[in-house]
Amino acid sequence: MKDQVEKIIKFHNVSKVFPGVKALNSVRFDIEKGEIHALLGENGAGKSTLLNILHGVYTEYDGEVHLNNQAVKFKNANDAIHHGISKVHQEVSLIPELTVGQNIVLGYEPKKGMLIDNKLIHEQANEILSKLRCNFKSEDKAGSLSTGEMQMVAIAKALYHKAEVISFDEPTASLSKSETDSLFEIINELKQNGITILYVSHRLEEIFEICDRATVLRDGTFIESFYVKDVSKEQLIRKMVGRDVSSFAVRNKKGMIGEETVLEVKGLTINNVYEDISFHLKKGEILGFFGLVGSKRTDVIRTIFGAEKKTNGAILLNGKEVDIKSSEQAVKLGLGLVPENRKTQGFLKFFNNADNIALTKLEKFTKFGLVSHKKKTENCETYINEINLRPANPHYLTHELSGGNQQKVVISKWLSSDASILFLDEPTKGVDVGAKAEIYRVMEGLLEKGKSIIIVSSELPEVLGMSDRIIVMREGHKVIELKNNGLKEEDVLQYAMGVTKNESQVI
Amino acid sequence: MKAKLFSREASLIFAIIMMVIIFSAIEPIYLSGGNLLDIFDQTVINGLLAIGITYAIITGGIDLSIGSIFAVVIVITGDLLVRGMNPVLAITIGMALGFVLGVVNGLLITKLKLQPFIATLGTMSAYRGIAYIYTGGWPVLDIPDNFRSMLAGDVVKDVPVSVIILIAFTIVSHIVLKYTKLGTYIFAIGGNEEATKLSGVNVDRTKILTYALCGVGAALAGMILLARLGSGEPATGQGYELNAIAAAAIGGASLAGGKGNMIATLLGAILLSALKVGLVVVGVDSFWQYIATGAIIVVAAYSEVIQDKFKKLRLVKNKNNNKNTNYPKSVGM
Repeated sequence: MKDQVEKIIKFHNVSKVFPGVKALNSVRFDIEKGEIHALLGENGAGKSTLLNILHGVYTEYDGEVHLNNQAVKFKNANDAIHHGISKVHQEVSLIPELTVGQNIVLGYEPKKGMLIDNKLIHEQANEILSKLRCNFKSEDKAGSLSTGEMQMVAIAKALYHKAEVISFDEPTASLSKSETDSLFEIINELKQNGITILYVSHRLEEIFEICDRATVLRDGTFIESFYVKDVSKEQLIRKMVGRDVSSFAVRNKKGMIGEETVLEVKGLTINNVYEDISFHLKKGEILGFFGLVGSKRTDVIRTIFGAEKKTNGAILLNGKEVDIKSSEQAVKLGLGLVPENRKTQGFLKFFNNADNIALTKLEKFTKFGLVSHKKKTENCETYINEINLRPANPHYLTHELSGGNQQKVVISKWLSSDASILFLDEPTKGVDVGAKAEIYRVMEGLLEKGKSIIIVSSELPEVLGMSDRIIVMREGHKVIELKNNGLKEEDVLQYAMGVTKNESQVI
Repeated sequence: MKAKLFSREASLIFAIIMMVIIFSAIEPIYLSGGNLLDIFDQTVINGLLAIGITYAIITGGIDLSIGSIFAVVIVITGDLLVRGMNPVLAITIGMALGFVLGVVNGLLITKLKLQPFIATLGTMSAYRGIAYIYTGGWPVLDIPDNFRSMLAGDVVKDVPVSVIILIAFTIVSHIVLKYTKLGTYIFAIGGNEEATKLSGVNVDRTKILTYALCGVGAALAGMILLARLGSGEPATGQGYELNAIAAAAIGGASLAGGKGNMIATLLGAILLSALKVGLVVVGVDSFWQYIATGAIIVVAAYSEVIQDKFKKLRLVKNKNNNKNTNYPKSVGM
């Protein structure tokens, strides 16, 4: 079996047209049985559309999908699951009030007569969970699990349905390093057991770490399939974007740091969350906050922004102590926050680009108590050019844009309010390579205008590439402050993981 | 222009016209002056309540207490008038009272972080209690004529003051929603409260004002009824909140928040009264009227679902063949 490569899935000239848009254009490639196959491309390249076809979400398309050399056409997602094709979603949604086991078998509960056989559920579920080496039980409530554990439940669910193919869509987006590592171990084990994996991720390092082959899509068209070990990171990116983009966060200009200290934080504390955080930020500086999941870096900046209540400590803006009690006050003081979760915190689903961008400082467009829609639109147009928003239309709903363009809108909110200190929390999460580079350029543009930036990110290359200084946090404490003079990833990571203090106890 | 043709307002106007045609075909009296006046009279009370509650609904909230605020304002202003207070002053006090009771709702919702449904369920009962205690359960009788002619009279012949008040309240509310900061924030909160807060908006203040406006609508409605009847009872207005919600829902306001339109709410209220009056005129048994009202609400809600689907299709279509086709504006704005 191993020598002769067997194709488990064949996409045969698959096209999908949404009214007016060709999302997929005669896509044709194969996936080999038992491999880990990466699906690559920028946002909007057609990855999700292809996955949705494979998983039976979209039922109308042209061309054929072959499963084990047989043309299949799934009626719906359930039908696909019955055919052994399961999906582990980007954000796993479990029903928190049900037990893990109940979540796993949901909709397919084994019965004893008329009643659900709870004993059998837990037996079967625990067997799968132990295979996945989970240290929680089927009887536990799903709501008590961490994100990583929830993902394991999703995998268990796929195994319960005897999946032959499992696709992972950005599975590591909200996982800690150790959770990511154990996920990769499991994925490799699934592979050993003959399960085929389709893997979608924006984190290229991961592709190189676990994937055998990769297929690149661009603008709905198939570009190339290749063995991952045959290409370099740069080559891979070039294939994805079709042009040379330095995906890596690189500062083109350095040394814009001014004399004045614009923000100083002293002994900031929220009891039982984080403790004694002190740092300062200079005009024209980018300060990076790095830490693994659970390091509470997001909580620190949310506190400064007035979104969480501090128990202790002082915040000084331009040398003057301020008591920020609400985000409203923070915004008035010239702060801006690009929050971690764009969709739930960053912008409004029902608002178009012009309205979203204007929201932070409506006064600008208000005369005699009336808001001018025309002025809001004009305001939006200036930022459309500045940030290269696509599609370049103020009246388009932000919600309908790609992740990268949504993020550009969220950043524009603070350009519009003319914030002098900007907090960027995971600014490039779920953002494609091209938009990433553009966001980095916007950041540099802000420095030139004398603004200051704090960037929080779990992508180390980003923090290293963009920051002048880096503060490393771990479990609610500031571990160290590092000047970014040729720092290496390992240097920062060891502090973040606490390796330097206690070699054996890596979280 | 296609988008306009399918707008909520247009389809409601179409529905109202159809209804008038059908009812007047069966019973020509339906179109008589007296009957139309009847429809407007009915619309005024429910319309004012519905406009008020639309504010709350757009923020993703609800105000169940408007029927009780209505009653409190009726008995207290009624009493003040009977004691000889100047009607203009009494009206001002009545509106202020509605405002304050609304602020209390807002405070419960924002400061105690109660769910709007629960908070206003509580005040619905408590305010009703206030109305009873204030009069000891008795009605307020003999409201002076100067007040009655002020709110229940005509501006010019056959144009009642109350209809003008309703239209003015609708237009002002429409402008507030569309062209003021407050209106933008109301939509924003209904769309996503967290994102709104993180944009630097004072969410609490906005919500409190929202419920205050809701109270003002109820106060206006109450005083108009008081003027019409010449007396007021503490038991009046029970269940009115549900009619108001129905009008707002028919007008396309989403109980999930973020969507709503004052003009459409008003049309929803007109549709409901046109239906009720029509059924009476053509002699449908009053029990069947409940079923008809229920059917209208369900049909209106379903048409909203269908409309959303069309909107989505149009959106996808527009994605490619670009420029200035009918992009959806921010929803509801």
